[in-house]
Amino acid sequence: MTDGTTAPESPKIDSKRETFALAIAAAGWIVPGLGHALLKMWGRAVACFLTVGLLVFFGAGMRGNVFTSSGNDAFDTLGYLADLGAGTFYFVARSLETNGPDVSRADGDYGTRFLAAAGVLNLLAALHAYEAARGRKA
Amino acid sequence: MSAAIGFSLTHLQAMLLFALVISIAFGFLSRRQPIERVKYIVWSLFLFLLIGVGIGWAMYPFSR
Repeated sequence: MTDGTTAPESPKIDSKRETFALAIAAAGWIVPGLGHALLKMWGRAVACFLTVGLLVFFGAGMRGNVFTSSGNDAFDTLGYLADLGAGTFYFVARSLETNGPDVSRADGDYGTRFLAAAGVLNLLAALHAYEAARGRKA
Repeated sequence: MSAAIGFSLTHLQAMLLFALVISIAFGFLSRRQPIERVKYIVWSLFLFLLIGVGIGWAMYPFSR
């Protein structure tokens, strides 16, 4: 008779899986969708790549503010952390926006939000890939 | 690489684009089956727009 419980995994296997999951999360953060691609979750990988890419593309196109590490206040630092969540796409945004941000218009302000949302969304996707790699239901 | 892109979207277009992209991402991340994903995306998009427009109207009395 089973009581629904399973035998605990050995610490060695558990540690190995944890390391693998962390590597998946890092891959997913650096390149949006890569974490899911490594887990052969192709639909999610493509969706992450395209949605984060679109947000970055439109955010930079609308001349949103791409924050740098040399922020003046806590909000700039928070913005920088959010933008950095997009991984390599952060640098894509910076390279696309050679004319610099223009937040004097609503477009630029929206662009700033798009870029921050891209970063936070990518972090969420990386966390999702991490949980999936750990064997949690995803 | 030079920036050859430039967009000028209206408030509504920006909201629609944002809501659509985020809804698609949420749908793919939180559901496995295609039909479930579509349902989630449509429902999420509807709520985004409903709440966005609702908040817009709620702020209207203070806009001037």
